[in-house]
Amino acid sequence: MPARDRRTIGELLADSDALARETLLDATPENAPAMVRSWNQLVASAAHLWAALASRPDSMSGSDPMERLRVVGQAIGRSVRAGHWPGHGATDDHLSEISDNLSRARHLIERHDRSSHPANTARDAHTPDIRGQVMHTLYVAAHGTAVALGGYVTGLQHRLEVGSRRRQPMAERPTILEITEAQGMIARFGGFEQLAAAYMFGQPLPSGDPGQLRAAAPATRLETALAAWEVQAHRTLAANPDSADVVRVARVQALIASTTSIVTEAAATTGHIDPDLWQRLAPTLEANQVAWSRLAKRWGELTSPASRTDPALVAAASEVRAAIAATATTQNGWATPDQLASRVDVVNTVKTLHLSMVASVDIAHVARDTAVDHPGLTATARIIGMRAQGEAEIAIEHGETRYEGVRWTTPRQISSNEVIPLPEPATRGLINLTEDVIATTKQSVAAAAQLDPSGVTRSVRSGPEARRGRSVERRQITHPPGPSPKGPRR
Amino acid sequence: MGMEHMDAEVVETVAGATRLLRRAAELAWMQADAAGPRSWRQLLALGIDSAADEALGLLPRRARLDGPTPVGDNPAELLASADQLLRRICVVSAASRLSGLRALVAELVWEANTSAGA
Repeated sequence: MPARDRRTIGELLADSDALARETLLDATPENAPAMVRSWNQLVASAAHLWAALASRPDSMSGSDPMERLRVVGQAIGRSVRAGHWPGHGATDDHLSEISDNLSRARHLIERHDRSSHPANTARDAHTPDIRGQVMHTLYVAAHGTAVALGGYVTGLQHRLEVGSRRRQPMAERPTILEITEAQGMIARFGGFEQLAAAYMFGQPLPSGDPGQLRAAAPATRLETALAAWEVQAHRTLAANPDSADVVRVARVQALIASTTSIVTEAAATTGHIDPDLWQRLAPTLEANQVAWSRLAKRWGELTSPASRTDPALVAAASEVRAAIAATATTQNGWATPDQLASRVDVVNTVKTLHLSMVASVDIAHVARDTAVDHPGLTATARIIGMRAQGEAEIAIEHGETRYEGVRWTTPRQISSNEVIPLPEPATRGLINLTEDVIATTKQSVAAAAQLDPSGVTRSVRSGPEARRGRSVERRQITHPPGPSPKGPRR
Repeated sequence: MGMEHMDAEVVETVAGATRLLRRAAELAWMQADAAGPRSWRQLLALGIDSAADEALGLLPRRARLDGPTPVGDNPAELLASADQLLRRICVVSAASRLSGLRALVAELVWEANTSAGA
């Protein structure tokens, strides 16, 4: 019989943070797939603990920072369950242990709440600190997972190169697809990490540490609308979405890219940010807007008069539109740089929009999973005839032989314009367009890396740096909260 | 609340407004896409999308929306037509939603007719 766990809430959180640091300092590439599999459970435990600390009934609303992270964790979990990389298999002991610790802490809090324990008053006073610790643990664990994934990808690339050189059988070599999917997972964990960082470095630290107080980011309408949008987009895409839902997601994301471009240019023009940053960022934002718009148009071809957009998504999209209109437009169009600078804190607004771009990396991956996994995609025969043939011809040019001579629709289907299931090449076209979205989003995020709220800018972790692990990361990572509850410090 | 208990004529009127709004949105998106990646018209198009969805939300699930594509290639005119249709009806069971939709459509008509939206 195992000994009873007598650790306090503070000890459980401190142990969790220490375990998270271990995952980072000893990042083992071989563990990366298991870490990805454990991620959703870890975030769920953190979210439940966060909710147990809530004193307001609306604290798990769309603008709650933990809710933003929870939907990303859930999306990663769904992707794994659906069989996408890394697929089913072992989970990671460290992350599972952190998850258990957080669940145990939640249990203690709930027990104290039920018994009106005198410790509640003290705990309530420390709630922001506990939240800071929980967020820090997720932040470090996400970074550790991304580092492990970076090493894993480097290993795959090395094996592929050696295998090709030695002409090993294909079955013994990693596939390009596996490498691409693992790289995609690095981007998703990178996004998660930045969202966690935004909470930690945007929130005021405890008053007992006045030397390190930071100004809290103002809860602007735009910030709230964008956070609520991210959560709702994840929720809608998770629930067997209609094609009209994907269209709306893509259109709003395109608008966010345009707005980011307008506001960033204004910040550069008025001398609030480095003009070189704008020069790097501008083409990537334009490409991203175009990619989302193309995706919207293609999904739009799959809608029918009966298509209905999720009302909750419509409401979230309307609020984003209204918030952007209030922030960045006048009666005559986009506000000028001077108008913007006089109306809002342009640097913070740029950071808010950049954070939304970071979050959109995961939305793009979920949109890709939707294209891959959606069981009931259909379109009219004339659209399918045009799209499937076009995509098949592109694939044939790239060496695909399975599509040669295939007819995707019958004359009868064309003549009645019957609604029929989407054939493989047309689905492939959707996936390719989503991959353009993912690539351009990552380029935008990378180009704007100096706006990272944590100030810790890292390049893609599949390079040699990823292998250095301990020595490099020891310098880069923030220090965790100390044994007594305090906010995260640098 | 939808219009499950409304008479067929009112349902058809709202369905007609929905078709107009959908077509206006389609045209507005074409114009926004043609204007390039920083087009302000995206805001107008997204607004019309929302209005079309609101109108659709008033309709019972069984309502059929297929029908002739509304004539015209000017989103502002289509919006104005939808506005007129919506002003003709009175729906007690969804009065606040209907009045919200009317206000939104009126605002979009104005936006579409301003110099930036036109």
